[in-house]
Amino acid sequence: MLNVENAGYNGIYLPECRLAMDGSHPEAKYTFITHAHSDHLPGNRQSTVWCTHPTYEFMQRRGFKGKAHIIEFGDTIVLESCRVSVYPAGHILGSAMFFVEKNQQSLFYTGDCRTPASPATEGFDRPDRTDFLVLDATFSLPIYRWKSHDELASELRDFAIQTLNESYTPVFLGYNLGKAQELLHLLAPLNHPMQIHGAGYKLCSIYEKESVDLGDYGAYDRESCEGKILVTTSSALNRGFASNIKIKRVAYCSGWAALESCRTQLNADKLIPISDHIDFFEMLKLCDSMNPQKVYIAHSPNPDVLKYYLEKKGIQAAVI
Amino acid sequence: MSNNSFRNLCLVLQAIRETRGSNAKNRICADYFRSLVSQKDLNLATRFIGEGAFETFSGKRASVGSRTSATAAADFCEIDYEHVFKPCRTATGSSSETIEKLMANLDIARNKRIPCHLPLAEIEQIFESLCLVSGREEKQKILLNTWQRMTPVEIKYFIRILGQGSLRIGFEIRSVVSAIATAFNKDAEQVRYVHMITGSAGKTAVLAKTDCLDEAVFQLFHPLSFMLASPIDNRSVGNLSKYFAEEKFDGMRAQLHTDGHKVKLFSRDLNDVTQSFPEISEFIVNRNLPPTVLDGEICVYKDDTIFPFQLLQKRMGLKNPNIKILKKYPVLFISYDLLYTMKEPIFEKRLSDRRELLENLARTYGIPITRQFDVQNWKDMERLFERALAHGNEGLMLKRKASRYEYGQRKKSWLKVKKPGGSLDTVIMYAHAGNGKRGGTYSDFTLGISVKNDERYEEEFIPIGKAYGGYTDDELRKINENIKELAVERYGPTLGLIPELMVEIEFDDIQVNNRTKAGYTMRLPRFRAIRWDLSPEDANTLKDVEKIYRKKIEQERMRQGVNASILIY
Ligand SMILES: [Zn+2]
Ligand SMILES: [Zn+2]
Repeated sequence: MLNVENAGYNGIYLPECRLAMDGSHPEAKYTFITHAHSDHLPGNRQSTVWCTHPTYEFMQRRGFKGKAHIIEFGDTIVLESCRVSVYPAGHILGSAMFFVEKNQQSLFYTGDCRTPASPATEGFDRPDRTDFLVLDATFSLPIYRWKSHDELASELRDFAIQTLNESYTPVFLGYNLGKAQELLHLLAPLNHPMQIHGAGYKLCSIYEKESVDLGDYGAYDRESCEGKILVTTSSALNRGFASNIKIKRVAYCSGWAALESCRTQLNADKLIPISDHIDFFEMLKLCDSMNPQKVYIAHSPNPDVLKYYLEKKGIQAAVI
Repeated sequence: MSNNSFRNLCLVLQAIRETRGSNAKNRICADYFRSLVSQKDLNLATRFIGEGAFETFSGKRASVGSRTSATAAADFCEIDYEHVFKPCRTATGSSSETIEKLMANLDIARNKRIPCHLPLAEIEQIFESLCLVSGREEKQKILLNTWQRMTPVEIKYFIRILGQGSLRIGFEIRSVVSAIATAFNKDAEQVRYVHMITGSAGKTAVLAKTDCLDEAVFQLFHPLSFMLASPIDNRSVGNLSKYFAEEKFDGMRAQLHTDGHKVKLFSRDLNDVTQSFPEISEFIVNRNLPPTVLDGEICVYKDDTIFPFQLLQKRMGLKNPNIKILKKYPVLFISYDLLYTMKEPIFEKRLSDRRELLENLARTYGIPITRQFDVQNWKDMERLFERALAHGNEGLMLKRKASRYEYGQRKKSWLKVKKPGGSLDTVIMYAHAGNGKRGGTYSDFTLGISVKNDERYEEEFIPIGKAYGGYTDDELRKINENIKELAVERYGPTLGLIPELMVEIEFDDIQVNNRTKAGYTMRLPRFRAIRWDLSPEDANTLKDVEKIYRKKIEQERMRQGVNASILIY
């Protein structure tokens, strides 16, 4: 039996392997990081971690001072205590999932994942089966079922085109690591100049190094941003981003945009539910095909529904 | 797509929802109204958008509760109501939105639905049939049968229209009426008038389309929107002799319609409340009045004394009260305005003329009316005000003698003079779970005031304070029941709510507090009453709060002065 404990905000710790994933643990000998979102980083900025190359670069640009053992998708790392195989998670560039094997037992830790994969990532891949599954269940309700990336891309482009045609400036709101670059990538075929908020801009070159096309983009410049496609975060917008431009239309791009109530809270014109997390229906599919004996439901604001569905299938479920 | 289909109407609703700015919304709706060829379709479309499944004044209700449609939807989707539907509803904060999503996402539900373009007239028939059958099972059968033929968006709006509530697209009846004016190029004020006297958005639209607005006539038993009072601002009053003063009752505003045999009482939100006050009907029928519409106040009245609103609350919402209640809390309808008499609406007449007619009527038929006083100066005002308080009333009303009855408007013709400090009508924005004794229920509430028309703010409401008590256990329970429907977000023990629940808050004082968004806080805020009769439109504004504060400052200066009566001048 592989025991699973909490570590950090969103991470776990496997005591038998002395392995922490996405969080620090005082007893940990190895710390593996799935991706560079801050809720998955080690508390100690000086520590040594195992992560992919893009993840390490993102971490460094966001202030990480420690060392990293760089791992590649497809690698299997043999540690004293266990074996860890690395799979692409489809969440943001460099995001990984870890398949841990010890004494004929296995555990698959997804971190944050998205399938079908975000087009601005290395894709999504997984082992055929696992004994234990620690699953990103951020959107674990049947009200969440994502449209295909093709449909979402045309929603984004249509919004941009229509807004520009009416001489408004389109503003897309999305988190500045991952979502912002995904938006640039999906809007790139419009061949229209784009500007991205500074915090997201400084991460873009890492995407380009990995050959993700981000189109004709530059850093946000208050004086010249009018008439460009703008990408920023909602908090930056509230703090005065492009406040000199009165005629603009705002699209909020997130899985949470599936909820009508976002509209009034964010004052958005358009809600585009494009998520970098797996939806409820893909979760069920994943559980069906990997056939785990137990699923640990992670990151879920309402885990009981997924738990109910899994238990009906005869799969044990626990909330972590 | 045929434009008289219900699906087309729903697409228009979505487009309005996704458009910001009232002019743009107005244009979308007006274009749609103009595109409808038949009068029947125009009538129905306007009604569905502006009023609901049935005309507001028909008093008809389909009586399909949110639980009825929710459990029917759970059945349709073959999911567990408790384990699956309810958590989804908690996440969206809306039963109808949850149903829309489940209908769209679940394969089982997708496969059952074969959407066809149901015409508006057929939707009307479905609403009628829901009204005709009683019993949850039969209603659910109709719902299931209907939903099979709809897209998820249609299902969502079908449920919202059925509930006669808000469609939540930022486009309420006032906007619908102005879209009618735009669509058919009519004077907005005339359209508003016609809507008021016909009491029907659908009829108004048809009259506008057919150039027959002039033919609209006032109909008895169709309530008019009430004329509302503004808080007094001493500097803008000018010559007091232009006003009548009367005591402001601590009761429930109501409009009474009678033709001598039949009586109907309407509350401020235009609901028929006749059945809650049988002694008023009996009293009026005994007087054998000619066709008449009166505006006035319902108060608990016993031993020549008007009792406070808190006692009247025991009667509100209680249909067909029993003898015990009737004896314990007897009520009286006190008239202060006359809107219809001698087969003619008279709300365009001056108040002084209406008053004369009202006094004649009261003398002839023996109905209670307010006493009106002439006031020459602020000294008179003060004396009257003190007397009003001694009577247990809230303060005074000043009504401009030359004013017409400005139905549905809150202007400066009626001014209310309330006791300073006093109270605010606020909307509940957040509910906080209490601990200890009140554990498990939401017992603390963040209250909002309106800044909708305030250039300084972007949002509609901002918090003005938090209230912890003053409610009865029963009131708290009722608030908690309602909160569940209104919750849209959760932050640990706090729920963010759709601003809908109105409460009147009493406080000792208003103080400046620059750390808050409003810049002011209330001292000792507490519940005075849940105001089911008010809507968020009625919430006091930040400007009101500022006014109350300034008034307090002025008064404190007066106290420091030598002769308060001189300073009042
Ligand atoms: Zn992430
Ligand atoms: Zn995460």
